[in-house]
Amino acid sequence: MNFYLTYFIIAIGLFGFSAAFALFGVYAERKVSAFIQDRLGPTETGKFGSLQTAADMLKMLQKELITPAAADKWLFMAAPAIIFIAVYLGFAALPWAPGLAPAKLNLGLYYIFAIISIETLGILMAGWGSNNKYALLGAMRSAAQIISYEIPAGFALISVVMIAQTLNLQDIAAQQGILSTEKVSFAGFWDVSSIGGLFAWNIFRAPHLLIAFVIYFIASLAESNRAPFDIPEAESELVAGFHTEYTGMRFAMVFLAEYSMMFLVSMIGVILFLGAWNTPLPNMGVVKLATWTTNAGWGVIWIIVKTLTLVGVQMWIRWTLPRFRVDQLMNLCWKVLTPLAFACMLASGLWRIFLM
Amino acid sequence: MTLVQALFYLMSFIALASALFVAATKNLVRSIFMFFVTLFALAGLYVLALADFVAITQIVIYVGGILVLILFAFMLSGKETLNVIAQQRKQFISISRLPALLVAALFLIVFVNVIVKVDANNLEWVKKAIATKNDIQSNAATTENIGVNLMTKYLLPFEAVSILLMIALIGAAHLSRKERTE
Repeated sequence: MNFYLTYFIIAIGLFGFSAAFALFGVYAERKVSAFIQDRLGPTETGKFGSLQTAADMLKMLQKELITPAAADKWLFMAAPAIIFIAVYLGFAALPWAPGLAPAKLNLGLYYIFAIISIETLGILMAGWGSNNKYALLGAMRSAAQIISYEIPAGFALISVVMIAQTLNLQDIAAQQGILSTEKVSFAGFWDVSSIGGLFAWNIFRAPHLLIAFVIYFIASLAESNRAPFDIPEAESELVAGFHTEYTGMRFAMVFLAEYSMMFLVSMIGVILFLGAWNTPLPNMGVVKLATWTTNAGWGVIWIIVKTLTLVGVQMWIRWTLPRFRVDQLMNLCWKVLTPLAFACMLASGLWRIFLM
Repeated sequence: MTLVQALFYLMSFIALASALFVAATKNLVRSIFMFFVTLFALAGLYVLALADFVAITQIVIYVGGILVLILFAFMLSGKETLNVIAQQRKQFISISRLPALLVAALFLIVFVNVIVKVDANNLEWVKKAIATKNDIQSNAATTENIGVNLMTKYLLPFEAVSILLMIALIGAAHLSRKERTE
């Protein structure tokens, strides 16, 4: 019975983590945007406004849940739950440190890819259920965008899988450091199996994976509906997109899903390209930095630091770049990213055959 | 009853109940969203049958692809069209339903026949496979197995399907292209 109890504790812990991250994420977003736009951001509630998001949460909890009279009530109520659960399920397969993963799936990456596509359905459900033209337009745009960008993202992921030869995220993570059981070489020629650190990360093991990483990162921005790909909720034309009609806790769920999605896609990027829980410090002669900083405790620290850095870059991009128009968005996806991703996949195949 | 059996019955119940709802409801959009539940329950059944790759592929293709495509068709086709479809004649037995009834009845006969005739616990080919160690264990990596088989034993069907999909892609691209004005 203890066996099942552990599972429940892990699941609740992951939920708590995603909620805590959303609180922190919203605060960070407001401070980052304030810095970029030369404002102060929240300052009143708590020291440096640090309690602002907690106060916002309290406000949301008390708000009335309004269901529009013409809405399809069941779909309207179920949609935020489906959107959030879809993202939350993805956390089940992510490895946090050597030997520390909620579920050891040998299809981990494929599972996450499948789970992310469910979010589209939740968004369409919200758009249709609200019975509001802005919501419907936002949902359609969001679905079109997510489906299109899944293709370059998928091929970027496949080019990593072809190098790694496994779909198990824990195995992919272990290959990028000193714990690897096979030979790791920097850019295909320098054996770094015992040096580890930065040089063993996937983006340096095969240089074309750097391009794949950029493709994946751009596509992941589109999949989490973040600027510059936020046409589904373009506030100047669609009020708030698919969540226009949502209030109170239901709106909070949609928000929670958005921030969890940011963390999820960043963490997948870190696991596949940026060395997962491996240390960036290499072994240098007698100074065995990599050996000292590779264990369960350090692993959690490294992966959180790397993921938060990527989340930070996402925020930076959101407040720096203007929004894409729909046709520009599709042009970028189909005419630039998709061919490049195909080229990366081809390069991966050749790399695996001739250089590994 | 073991946990696996309990899960099997739970998944089967969800799949059947939601499928019944899909077939019976007048609200077409809700029936599509209910179909999503059916597909999920089916994926769960696949996992119980040690076909995890098939289960995830089912979610990627049906939920992420086909369901979203059907929904797109619905959303592009306005409420009036949907209301006309929803207001069909209510009577249960009518001549227009005869073909459907016939097909359903024939399927029922086939299924009952299968259940009555097959002794599922002592199938010949299952016993043979277990005897020759040609069965899949619960800790086996099925993905590698599927990959190797697709590239060796089933290469021709695989390539034929890929050519078919290629034709469909080119056709779709051609249809959606703007006509050149002369």
